Amino acid sequence: MLSVQNISKAFNRKKILKNISFSQKEGESIVFMGRNGAGKSTLFRIIARLMTYDNGSIIFQGKNLLKVKPIHSSKLFYLGHSPGMYHPFSAIENLNFLLSLRKIYKDQLEILDVLDQFGLMESANEPIGVYSEGMLQRLKIVCAQLMDWDMILIDEPFSNLDKDGLDLVQKQISFWRSQNKTISMILHNKNHAKNICDRILTLESGIIK
Amino acid sequence: MTNYFQKRINQWSLSVIIILFIINILNIIYNTPMVPDQHWAQKIFYVHVPSAWVGFLSYFIVMISGFMYLTSRDNRWDNIGLAASEIGTFFISLVLITGPIWATPIWGQPWVWEPRLVTTLILFLIYIGYFMIRAYGGYIERMKRNAAALGIVAFINVPIIFLSVQFWSPDIQSHPQVEMTEQPSEILSPFIFSLIVFTMLYTVMIRYRVYVIHLNNGMNEDV
Amino acid sequence: MFLVLLKKELFIELRSKELILSMVVFGIAIVLAFSFSSNLSRAVVINYASGMFWITVLFVSALGVHRSFAYEKEYDAFSMLVTAPIDRGLIFLAKWVSGFIYLTLMEILIIFPFFKFLMIDYPSNILIAISTTLLVNLGIMAVANLVSGIAMRSNLSEILLPILFFPLVSPIIIAATKISTGVMLNESYGVWEIWVLIVGSIIIISGLAGYALFDYLVEE
Repeated sequence: MLSVQNISKAFNRKKILKNISFSQKEGESIVFMGRNGAGKSTLFRIIARLMTYDNGSIIFQGKNLLKVKPIHSSKLFYLGHSPGMYHPFSAIENLNFLLSLRKIYKDQLEILDVLDQFGLMESANEPIGVYSEGMLQRLKIVCAQLMDWDMILIDEPFSNLDKDGLDLVQKQISFWRSQNKTISMILHNKNHAKNICDRILTLESGIIK
Repeated sequence: MTNYFQKRINQWSLSVIIILFIINILNIIYNTPMVPDQHWAQKIFYVHVPSAWVGFLSYFIVMISGFMYLTSRDNRWDNIGLAASEIGTFFISLVLITGPIWATPIWGQPWVWEPRLVTTLILFLIYIGYFMIRAYGGYIERMKRNAAALGIVAFINVPIIFLSVQFWSPDIQSHPQVEMTEQPSEILSPFIFSLIVFTMLYTVMIRYRVYVIHLNNGMNEDV
Repeated sequence: MFLVLLKKELFIELRSKELILSMVVFGIAIVLAFSFSSNLSRAVVINYASGMFWITVLFVSALGVHRSFAYEKEYDAFSMLVTAPIDRGLIFLAKWVSGFIYLTLMEILIIFPFFKFLMIDYPSNILIAISTTLLVNLGIMAVANLVSGIAMRSNLSEILLPILFFPLVSPIIIAATKISTGVMLNESYGVWEIWVLIVGSIIIISGLAGYALFDYLVEE
């Protein structure tokens, strides 16, 4: 599914990632762990084509991501640390927009149903600018559930969540795993990682240990 | 690590250009004819126009380097772009200084709304922005991309800027220029010589500057 | 896909109303400042009116385009656009067209105060005045969005944008002033035809450059 080979990235000439290489099979779940500033988010942003890299290659579903247009990585979905949505828009409007960007057409009832599952039904029509951090985190997972992807990159899926939110997101990730989806996550808590991944990779000083 | 000027070819090129430049200055001072109504002020023309030529050539190189950097992501092109922008801005500053010096005795005022001068001033302002992008454009790798894009955008607008100023107000433009090809040979020949010397000087300057930038980058890498 | 992006740009403004409001208020404030500071007779003001108008438009467009890109930075909304399977040049085109629409709306709202405060007559050929203004708006917004794309992710984007924008837009301002003066003074098309061609060239060059370069500018 994904093959990352010798990816390096420098910020202000300081190497953050040094020849990172790993592979991920279809249906496999990997958790990336490491200290703050280890380069985990940077690695995800590079794979998601949000950030350039200095050398190496990324092969996704047989295609070199650097050499193909973004349309060929439509089955790769990235959820960053920030919401990635527009604060004047409501949850429904944001979701409709993001779905139409990927040419996915969903029934409004289906969208509302998923929002309801994550406890966001009541505030579905309010601008997300008034949402709490926890609500925004849930909304991101709703977005991921509605999208059509084969592989997802999630940066800290459990951040800012209360106990109910944690359970909901854990269940969602387990559901995706049962659907044989390929998942990569960044986590800080090994307890969270225990039951939701096939292996853990630790990033330290720009290399995978 | 060899010092740049330890290499024979670099020593020779520096020596040759210094000698040629001295000859050029002496030629301008002693050999060029005194134009009746302009006297000594007219001699600035032999420095002003070649400086403009070199400045614009340099900015053209910034554009090409920008394009090559964006397509290849090779840092050498960024080094060339940076060197060319610095040296180009130096020569353009020279143009903006010598222009008013020349204009004051000739037209009685330091600034005239002549299309080439105004285009030069606008380009100079754009390149101030270019250096600000280099200084405040974020982390180095992103800054290089933004600077490359600006270098391309800046130069492709030069013909448009020039044309718009040229058509702007012919009555304001009091610049009685004689076309170069119609100049007598005693003016044209030293002018061509000065043009060649300035171009050679530019070549030496940009080669050395690229070398220094490359050295600087190499010392700062892999912290 | 372009229509999806354009719709998003327009609906954001419909929802927040930040952009148009700030552009109109700023525009009127500049017009007022011109009225107070120009102690000129009506006969003289008419010669400077087009320049004053386009300077107002210039400042307002810098404000508007900066705000338009600020939406993308808040909540990192831009990351979703950039990672989506779309042609990134379309993001530039959508910003260009939406900016053109906002600028035109702003001009519609300030044109009447402009003529009234400066006490000048409306142009006799309204249709030509409107069509040439729309053309210039397209040109201004093309350059503004291109420059904003370059300055967007910089540390001093609010300062860098006007510094880069104003020199680059100078040919358009020269052309716009010439066209507007010609229209106001009822000069024949042949007199200011060259300026229309210059604006047209800028639109093509800036539009193509923006579309091509945006792919490189949006990545971090």
